[in-house]
Amino acid sequence: MHPQKSEAIILQHIDYGESDRIVTFFTPEQGLLKGFARGARKSRKRFGAALEPFSGVRLIWRQRPNSSLLNLQEAELLDLRDGLRRDLKALALAAYGCELVAALFGEGGAHPEVYAMLKSLLDQLNVDGGCAEYRLLLELRLLRLSGHEPHLLHCAVCGGALPEQVHFSVEQDGSLCPACRVPGARPVSLATLGSLARCRETPADRFAGFHLGATTLGEGAPLCTAALDAQLPRRIKSREFLDRLEPLPPAPGGAGHS
Amino acid sequence: MLDSIPSFARLVAELAKFPGIGKKTATRLAFFLLRQPRAEAEALAGAILELKEKIGFCSRCFHITESDPCPICTDPGRDEGLLCVVEQPQDLIAIERSRSFRGRYHVLQGALSPLDGIGPDQLRFSELLQRLKGGAVRELLVATNFTVEGDATALYLAGQVRPLGIRVTRLAHGIPTGSDLEFVDDATVNRAVEGRRDL
Repeated sequence: MHPQKSEAIILQHIDYGESDRIVTFFTPEQGLLKGFARGARKSRKRFGAALEPFSGVRLIWRQRPNSSLLNLQEAELLDLRDGLRRDLKALALAAYGCELVAALFGEGGAHPEVYAMLKSLLDQLNVDGGCAEYRLLLELRLLRLSGHEPHLLHCAVCGGALPEQVHFSVEQDGSLCPACRVPGARPVSLATLGSLARCRETPADRFAGFHLGATTLGEGAPLCTAALDAQLPRRIKSREFLDRLEPLPPAPGGAGHS
Repeated sequence: MLDSIPSFARLVAELAKFPGIGKKTATRLAFFLLRQPRAEAEALAGAILELKEKIGFCSRCFHITESDPCPICTDPGRDEGLLCVVEQPQDLIAIERSRSFRGRYHVLQGALSPLDGIGPDQLRFSELLQRLKGGAVRELLVATNFTVEGDATALYLAGQVRPLGIRVTRLAHGIPTGSDLEFVDDATVNRAVEGRRDL
């Protein structure tokens, strides 16, 4: 088997035995892959800090016969993103982003746009720290990139125009006009939906320069999280930690989840 | 093959549960034990049982101990005002081996790991905060590992402890003693430059 080489982002590693590691990484052209790094725990010579989560690396690997795990041969550290280790919110958001990408885009298939988005998010968190805007943008972009973007600026049921005060239902896949409103739908203002729609239209790998108001965050963030939850195949473990550090803003008017 | 010798197969299966021990190594260890005199095997079995019967965790620092509180917590020669936080008992032992620290310890029994769903409630954080609120501690030395999990734990601790007016310090991070600079990775050199000090 010929060795293969790619730029990658380390999503996670787990220790295996006394000295080895199993590494989950994300590449632009082959998506999510898992590799076996022999001696990665004990010897710092071969891999150094390159296999730390959130690192940008250039990896060389070979296929292993009769195994879905790749055999990692070399790792060149491109960017440790050391700034993440100085800001707990940034670190928690980085973990959340990596876990979401792994859950939504499993093994197999190229996802260059997802790779670019995750790389840009981690770079932004590395220099700027964590904030509520980045979480909302991350969830909005992942909904779009995974093909599950909700209807925002027209009624998801009848396709009609929306008045100033509308409702949003995850089950109905988006905004609802008063005539199509279903029990349990959450109230949301048209201004918030407009802000979300504008954010959604920006390039997926752009995170810098967004300043969202309290109403947009208060109404939009729980809405995006609920919409994303409906698409996830499993519980996101890092969510609880992130919510503990930075709870979702309360929705104005005390609107609950649908 | 081993199925025809059930007692041997059972021992191999038990040994293979140890970290870092595969079936091949477990079989080699089982053959070694088979060749030993009966007294040696009894000594090993007795040591394992004694370990389980006698050793528990100190109710104050959560290090392993045969007596509660542990000898470190009851040692009058140690500085009450200096508390070192580590992830695991092995880390405490490593610091004790260096003979560079004469304060007391607190073992968290792990580290924060968002990716594994391990939050503060799964660790000994609340017990640590109770100790700190006692008022005797003036400096908290955070000696968690220099991994993402260890750094997350250190940041969380700093955020919780600073409002109590206690000084929070972190172990220095840099070039290992006896190593050549040219072979050290970029991240370590970077941290070493950041942590430089006057001569």
